Amino acid sequence: MSAPDIAFAGPETAGPLSRLARSQYAALAAMRWQMFRNGMRTSRGALELGARAITYILYGALGLGLSAGLGAGAYAMASSTAARFLPVLFWTVFLVWQMLPIMLASFQEQFDLGILLRFPLGFRAYYLLYVIFGLIDVSTITGGLCCLGLWVGLTIARPGLFAWTALALIVFAAFNILLVRAIFAWIDRWLAQRRTREIVGAIFLLFVLSLQLLNPALHQSRHSRSVSREERMAERRKTAGEMWPWLAKANAVQRWLPAGLAAQAVKQAGEKKAAPAGGSLGILGIYALAAGAVLAWRLKAEFAGESLGEAPSRAKEAQAAERRSAGWFAGSGPIAAIVEKELRAMLRTMPLLYAVGAPLLLVLVFSGVFVRNGAPTSSFPFSLPVCLVYAQLGFTQLFYNSLGAEGTGIQLYFLSPTPMRTVMLAKNIFHSMLFFLTAGVAAVLAIFRLGLPPAPVLAASAAWLLFALPCNLAAGNIFSLTMPYRLNPGRLSRQRGSQASSLLSLLVQMGEMGVGALVLWLCWFTDRLWLATPILLALAVIALVIWDRGLRNADALANRHKENLIATLAKTE
Amino acid sequence: MEIAAIQTHGLTRRFGALTAVENVTLSVAQGQFFGFLGPNGAGKSTTIKMLTGLLEPSSGTMEILGQPFTAGALELKRQIGVVPEGMALLGRLTAPEYLRFVGRMYGLDGATTDQRTEELLDFMQLSNERKKLVTDFSHGMQKKLALAAAVIHGPKVLFLDEPFEGVDAIAAGMLKAMLQGMINRGATIFLTTHVLEIVERLCSHVAIIHQGRLVANGSLEELRAGVASTLPGAEASQRLTLEEIFLAIVGAGGTEAQQELSWLA
Repeated sequence: MSAPDIAFAGPETAGPLSRLARSQYAALAAMRWQMFRNGMRTSRGALELGARAITYILYGALGLGLSAGLGAGAYAMASSTAARFLPVLFWTVFLVWQMLPIMLASFQEQFDLGILLRFPLGFRAYYLLYVIFGLIDVSTITGGLCCLGLWVGLTIARPGLFAWTALALIVFAAFNILLVRAIFAWIDRWLAQRRTREIVGAIFLLFVLSLQLLNPALHQSRHSRSVSREERMAERRKTAGEMWPWLAKANAVQRWLPAGLAAQAVKQAGEKKAAPAGGSLGILGIYALAAGAVLAWRLKAEFAGESLGEAPSRAKEAQAAERRSAGWFAGSGPIAAIVEKELRAMLRTMPLLYAVGAPLLLVLVFSGVFVRNGAPTSSFPFSLPVCLVYAQLGFTQLFYNSLGAEGTGIQLYFLSPTPMRTVMLAKNIFHSMLFFLTAGVAAVLAIFRLGLPPAPVLAASAAWLLFALPCNLAAGNIFSLTMPYRLNPGRLSRQRGSQASSLLSLLVQMGEMGVGALVLWLCWFTDRLWLATPILLALAVIALVIWDRGLRNADALANRHKENLIATLAKTE
Repeated sequence: MEIAAIQTHGLTRRFGALTAVENVTLSVAQGQFFGFLGPNGAGKSTTIKMLTGLLEPSSGTMEILGQPFTAGALELKRQIGVVPEGMALLGRLTAPEYLRFVGRMYGLDGATTDQRTEELLDFMQLSNERKKLVTDFSHGMQKKLALAAAVIHGPKVLFLDEPFEGVDAIAAGMLKAMLQGMINRGATIFLTTHVLEIVERLCSHVAIIHQGRLVANGSLEELRAGVASTLPGAEASQRLTLEEIFLAIVGAGGTEAQQELSWLA
C-alpha cells in the first residue's frame, strides 16, 4: 500500500501581505477578541477588564500630561529663537519611550507570539505581528502621545512645518518602536542563559557604578551645607562654564543620533533648508532600518525554533555548590524544603531577580536626586525612607503572586500532605529574609550616597519596614491565592500579568506608604519625630496579627480557589 | 470484611450546565491493579482529580483506605501517590532537586529522601540528566520523573493518569515491572490510559466511564462475558480483546467512526 498523498491547499507565498498571512492576522485578531470575550465570562475576567481600563486611563493621563508639557515646550521654542534647544525635547521623548518599559515590565500584560510558530506563518508575517503587538504597550502609547504633543506644539507655532514635523515624528516613532522591541528581544535572549546572564549582569553593574562615579567626577570639591546663596550661584556659573565645552562636544555628537536628527530635520525645514532636512530624515530612516534589522536578527533565530533552555553548566562547581547550599538547608521539613526550592527557583527566574534587583540599582542611581553639588541636601530629611520605599516596590510580584512561577507544580501542593498555610508560611519566611536583605542593601546604598540620616528617621524607617512587611505578606497571601497569574520564568518581557492584581497590590502598597508618610509628617510637623517609631511599631504589631489570622485561613482560602489556581497556573495557551 | 482501598458513592462533578462525572459508584480492593478507561472527555481525569483532592466533588462521597477523603485529609494524603494530568513538575529545578523537594513535602527525612532520590533516578535512567532543568526534559523524561515523584514516599494507593504517554518501550517495560512489584507488595494502583494493551496485561479489574457515567465495572473476565452475551453466536465464541470490549461498550463502532473524510487524499 502506498503512502497516502496529502493534498496541500496549494503553494502560498509567505509574504506578510499574502492571502495566507492576511487570513492568519484575521484569525489572530479573532482569537484575541474571543479570548477577551471569554475572559469576561467570569467575574475575575470582568475585574481584570475594569483594572485594565483604569490602568490605561492612568497611563493615558501620564502620556497626556507629558504630551501637553512637551507641546508647550515645543511651541515656546519654535516661536522664539530657542529652536536650537529642540533636541532636548526629542531626547526626552526618546528616554521616556525606552525607559518606561523597563520601569513597568512587571505590570504589563504581553502576548507571547512564540505559540504561533507551530503554524505556517512566514517570517515577515511573524515579524510584523511582533511589531504590531508592541504597539499596544504603555511605552508606545505614552511615546506616541508625546510625539503628538510635539507635533501640535510645533504646528501651532509654525504652521508651515506641519508636514515636515509629521514626517520626522513618524520616522522617529518608528525608530523608537523598533528599538524598544529589539532591546527587549535581545535582553530576553541574553537573560535566558546563565553565561550570557552573568555577562549582562556584570555590564549592568559596571554601568551603574560608572553612573555613581559620574557625580564626584563632575563635582570634584565637596561643600559643607552652609554655603551661601551667592556662593552657590557663583559655583554654578563656574561649573556651567567648565561644562560648556563638554556640552558643545555632546551637542555635536547628538546631532548624528536619532533624537538629534529628528530635531535637526524639523529645525532645518523651518529654515527652508529642504535638502539638509531630507538628509537628516534619511539618516534617521537608516537608524530605524538598523533597529529593525537588529530585531529581525533576533526574531529570525526565534522563528527558526531556537531553544534557550538552560542547563546548569560547570557541573563540578555546581555540584560542590549544591552540597554546600544543601548544608544550609539541612532541615528536612516542608518549610526548609520550600525555602530551599524558592531560593533555587528564584535564582533561575529572571523576571523575579530583575524585579527585586532593578529598584535597588535605581535607588543607587536616583538617590542622586537628593545630592546637590556632590553633597547631600539638608532640605529633605526623609530621603532614606523614600529610598527604602522604592526598593520594596520590587517585591510586588514576589509578595502578591507568590505562586505564579509554580506552573503545574501547584498541583503538588494540593496533593502533598503539607497544608497550604505551611507552604505560604515558608514562602513568607523566604520573602521576609529577602526583603530585609534588600532593605539592608538599599539602606547601605542610600547612606553611602546621602550620609547617615538623623537617628529618629533611621529608627522610624526600620519600624516602617516592620509594619510594611506583614501588611504586604498578609495582602500578598490573599492575592496569591485568589488572583494568581502565571509567570513565565524564562522571560523578562512577554509575560501575561494580571492588571487587577497589579492595580490592587499597588493600592495596598500606596496605603502602606501613605500611612508611613502621614505618621512621619505628623511627628515631624509637631516636632516629635521620635514618636514615629513607637507609632509605626504599634501598627506593625497590628499588621502581624492580621497576617497571622490570614495565614490560619490560608487552607480554607486555597481550597475555595483550588480550581482557579490549578487552571490558571497549570494551563497551556 | 476487608477495607476497600478506594470507595466512591454517587460521585458527581458539574461544571456549570455540564455534568462531567455523574453518580460514579465504585470500589477498588486493596492490592488491586485497577484500570479506569474511557474515551476522550469521558470524565477519567476529572474522577482522578476528585479522588486525589485536586477537585471538589459537586456531590457524593469518597473513601480512601476506609477513611473519608477530603482535601484536608493530610494524613491520608501521605498514603497516596499521584501522577496527575499536568504532572505537577517544577520546571526550574533539576530532577534530584525536585525529588528531594517532593520527598520532604511528604515528610520523609533528609537521608531517606536522598537515598530514594538516587535509587529512583537510577531506576528511571535519569541519572545522566541530573544537571538538566526539568523544563528542558523531553516529555517522556518528564513522565518518568513525575512517576518517580509519585512513588518516592512509598504510597499505598497510586493514581496514575496516562503514565505511559510518551515513555519509550524500554522504560515502559521497567515501569510496568515496578508497578507490578508494588502490587505484589500490597499497593493499589488506579490507572487511566488509552493504551488498552497495557491495561489488558496489567489490570485485574476494569471500569469504563462514558459521557460521565460508569458503564462497566468488573474483572476483565466479567466484562468479556457480559459483552459476549450480547453478540451473535459465532462472535461470542471468540475470546474478545479489551479493545473489542471497550468499543462494544462505548459504542464507537457506529456510523461516525466509519464516515469518510472525503477531502483527505
